[in-house]
Amino acid sequence: MSSLGLWMFAPALLLMVLTGLPVYAVLLAVAALFAAAGMLLGAFDVSLLGALPARLVGLLEHDLLQALPLYALSGALLNRLPLVLLLHRVAERAFSRSGAASELSALAVGGLLAPMNGSVGASLHTLSRSVAPALLQSGVSADRTAATVAVASTLGVVIPPSLVLLLLGDAMMRAHTEAVNLTQAAVRIVNTQDVMRAVLLPGALVLLMAMALAAWRARGVTPGPSMRRTLPRSHVFTALGVATVTAALLVGVALGHLLAVEAAAAGCVLLALTATLRGQLPWSRWRLVLRDAMNLTGALLALLVGATAFSLVLRAFDTDALIAHTLQSLSDRPVLLVGVVLAGLLLCSFVLDAFEMTFLVIPLVMPPALMAVNDAAWLAALTLLVLQLGYLLPPFGYALVLSRALLPVQPGLRALARALRPQLLAQALLIAAVLAFPQITQWARPTEAPPPVTQHDAAEAERLMQDTVDAQRRNAEPPNDAASPALR
Amino acid sequence: MPSPVIRRLASRLNAGLDHLSAACSLLVLPLALLLFAQWPLRDVVGAGSRPANDMAQWLFALYVAIALRSATRRHGHFAADTLAAGYTPRLRAMIERFGHALAVLPFALFVAVAGAPMVWQSLRSLESFPDTSNPGYFIVKFAAWLLALLMAAQAVVGLLVPLAPPGQAAERGDGS
Repeated sequence: MSSLGLWMFAPALLLMVLTGLPVYAVLLAVAALFAAAGMLLGAFDVSLLGALPARLVGLLEHDLLQALPLYALSGALLNRLPLVLLLHRVAERAFSRSGAASELSALAVGGLLAPMNGSVGASLHTLSRSVAPALLQSGVSADRTAATVAVASTLGVVIPPSLVLLLLGDAMMRAHTEAVNLTQAAVRIVNTQDVMRAVLLPGALVLLMAMALAAWRARGVTPGPSMRRTLPRSHVFTALGVATVTAALLVGVALGHLLAVEAAAAGCVLLALTATLRGQLPWSRWRLVLRDAMNLTGALLALLVGATAFSLVLRAFDTDALIAHTLQSLSDRPVLLVGVVLAGLLLCSFVLDAFEMTFLVIPLVMPPALMAVNDAAWLAALTLLVLQLGYLLPPFGYALVLSRALLPVQPGLRALARALRPQLLAQALLIAAVLAFPQITQWARPTEAPPPVTQHDAAEAERLMQDTVDAQRRNAEPPNDAASPALR
Repeated sequence: MPSPVIRRLASRLNAGLDHLSAACSLLVLPLALLLFAQWPLRDVVGAGSRPANDMAQWLFALYVAIALRSATRRHGHFAADTLAAGYTPRLRAMIERFGHALAVLPFALFVAVAGAPMVWQSLRSLESFPDTSNPGYFIVKFAAWLLALLMAAQAVVGLLVPLAPPGQAAERGDGS
């Protein structure tokens, strides 16, 4: 019966693609359909689904999720204020010696703002609205513009302290706790800070590779005279101020001096105050900002609600056991196991976004994977790199599709794929390098990480996997009345 | 086809919910201020950061409970609609109208019914936050129930009063 849960994915994918209905609605529909089927077939009891309201309460009291509307608000403010374009113009001037000044500037602005923007989609909207027209105006072709905007928008996935990264850090901590409780391994449980530090260098490398490729492509191109125009001093000071404050907040979170929610809140308050004092936020614009922030928050939360219902039914079918046993068969070849997990995540990233992956897929695949792999932060960094790559892969990569759709002049898919090819190749090589050399993720972490791979003999692995499955089943059971207030 | 009276009622409910969403969109401002204040309250004043955090928690819960319905109303949800974008507007509107209701209603009604005793018990006892004893935890539980109720209401309204097709709706949001 546990394989029935796996069949939930097929109608979900089909319905998503064929109906064009919101992903969260499809997840809810498939969960309801299979829940009914499961009860009719006697696979599980209706009381198991009674956990759903308590799980929703769990979402609403999730500390990290408090940052969600704040990231959405700062994204909306950035989107509706002319600050992004201002930053782009100033950065363009800073790179004016290169023929790729516009692209370099777009990537730098993306690298600075994407972590504050809440989601890849929000970054895409912001950059498509402000930076893409400037790129086209500077003479960058439509395919290069779409490729640059797509890459810049996904940088938030790998540059701390984006929301995706924080949530993944939290999910990895839970998965690692589950794995360590069962293996009794003498390792420190990974935390969000570890994940941020692990991905610091690979994230920086993704940005630097994108910039290097842009500069290399433009070698021999003479910068246009518009690049050398003098900017008003006030623009330069404003851009420097915004960049400094944003960078300070990001560094504060990355180093653990500030909580992510506090940094996001500080960013929102400072942005709103500055814009109000400069007379850039009349009520009419505030209304748009508030509406945008609410819509994005609602859209993100809907995905989490959909993923919560879907995963509950999936676990009710014991599909988590099936997945754990399948992964267990690879536990004596940990590198292959990691490769399979990452390939699965890459496939999922075509249709599921990073938030759904964090709540739906990571809790299923990571506990068994982390029983064979000790360095959870390394695996988290690899996961983030794979997710970011998935956003850019033709033909379904989300950033690729949306960046193309949002441009006034839409480039062909082939041309866009061609423009992205060197970047994709470079990122694939980076993933291979991180896979082969976990040290790349270890340099910024204070303590010496344990060896990334631990091998168990087959019998021990079998026992541990069974324990994992039992633990997951206990998690899926409805809490009793006494337990529910303690969810917090 | 529903009667004109039902359609009028649904339109009014929709308009009322739109007003509620517009008013509650302001909640993000005190939420940001409270979470921003947490930092100086903790590191400078040395007191008051937990009450600020708890208050932010229930503001957050109420805000997101209403935000989900608002995103539905404005077609702001993330959808893999590359293929469906080629359908006729009439077909898309039909899918949107009936498909969305069919997909969301069972879940929303189940949560509203199954969660009612838990929420009612919490409301009756004005449940406090378990780890700080600060008041307001019952609002978090109520918000979960409100979220389901608003989802159901929007699905029913969408069935009775066709919403603008996605192409004509306000700028799409997304969820990635």
